[in-house]
Amino acid sequence: MEDVQVVAMLVRRCIAGDAAAWEEIVQTYNRRIYNICYRFAGSADDAQDLTQEVFIKMYRTLSSYDQSKGAFVTWVTTITRNLLVDHFRKTKQDRMTDSMDSTASDHEDAQPLSEQIPDQSAPPDAHVRSREVSESVHQALSKLSPELREAVILRDLQDMDYKEIATVLRVPEGTVKSRINRGRAELARLLQRTYRQVM
Amino acid sequence: MPDHTSNGMQCNEFDLLLSDALDGVLSGTGLDRFEAHARTCKTCGPLLAEAEAGRQWLKGLTEVEPPASLVNNILASTTGVDTQRLRTTARAQQPRVSWLEHVQASFLEPVWAMVRQPRFAMSFGMAFFALSVSLTMAGVKPADISQISLRPTAIRRTYYNAQARVVRYFNNARYVYEVEAALHGIKRNLNPAEPRSSKPNEHKNDTTQQPEQKQERNYSQTGEQIILASVPLGPSLRDLPVVSVTTYRRFV
Repeated sequence: MEDVQVVAMLVRRCIAGDAAAWEEIVQTYNRRIYNICYRFAGSADDAQDLTQEVFIKMYRTLSSYDQSKGAFVTWVTTITRNLLVDHFRKTKQDRMTDSMDSTASDHEDAQPLSEQIPDQSAPPDAHVRSREVSESVHQALSKLSPELREAVILRDLQDMDYKEIATVLRVPEGTVKSRINRGRAELARLLQRTYRQVM
Repeated sequence: MPDHTSNGMQCNEFDLLLSDALDGVLSGTGLDRFEAHARTCKTCGPLLAEAEAGRQWLKGLTEVEPPASLVNNILASTTGVDTQRLRTTARAQQPRVSWLEHVQASFLEPVWAMVRQPRFAMSFGMAFFALSVSLTMAGVKPADISQISLRPTAIRRTYYNAQARVVRYFNNARYVYEVEAALHGIKRNLNPAEPRSSKPNEHKNDTTQQPEQKQERNYSQTGEQIILASVPLGPSLRDLPVVSVTTYRRFV
């Protein structure tokens, strides 16, 4: 993922006040952090604001990075995750995965996911169809609880290993695996229900 | 997740191995036990299918492209490097303006725009005319102005020359007055018996010598004053000086 020595050198140069080194770090990690924020927050505007906040916090706390405690990308992801949790608490988007099934079945007034995505009865072409599928998966992802969502994002979208995810989330590796399994299953259930209703 | 045993494997153990199985790292007897449990357990079987489906859905999600301005915004909010760069670029795009053009744009053009208004044009024209007339009367020529030396020694010399000219003028004036006074004295000495009868005529309205004779006008009498009675002058009165009487004056 990253050359440890190169990153360590970059960090040292940044701490010494080298603006070019900091720009290189921003260029390297902005895409990754933006994608995590976008998939977690669900909105491009929020993702942009959160990404900036992550880098501001990184810039201020760069001297606290300890190479011996883990990879730089893990440290960056931990900062991102902490800020996302804070953001989630502020916006009070509390949705529990366990209650999602019952919510859809018990409350008839609840708006199903199929109503939130466009009509797919006559897709113009495969590209549009693919984009619509991506959009429906993105919306289903945002319906997951934050614990399951973050685990799934870090594993399936960011390709982090279980150990790194456990470090970031500060939970045991077994818990990480369990959350990933439940998250994937929950997502599949949501999407199957959606497409069954559309068809 | 319910915790029951099926084919020698508990559902908790199945849950832990599920990720490894989907990642393809589970093999051997562990994989056999895992698959056997999935086939027989009513909870874990569907879970395996759903987790696999969910994983496939997530594989279809591609990375989104960050906004083009994101890096610039980050750099601007952290180091300000990009802000400086943008400022430098913006400054480089602006054409260089000399100080004369700057003065012209900021001072002369607004003043000229005001002067061009008709109501101010006449005023400035009159002012210019008055100034040029004053300078002409004072003997100042535009050609002389260019020859004026502004060196301190030249200015000092000009000052002393002007002062000497003024002193000379007053000295000459005093000499002229003294000569004139001397001529009057000589003329008075040459004609000492000249009758003084002309004096009253010269100073007809001078009342400073006769404060008791107030000139009073009777605005009610407009015509000639009629003398109702007169007394014949006796011989004793003939010696009195003759007083000329004007018709518009009262007798006192």
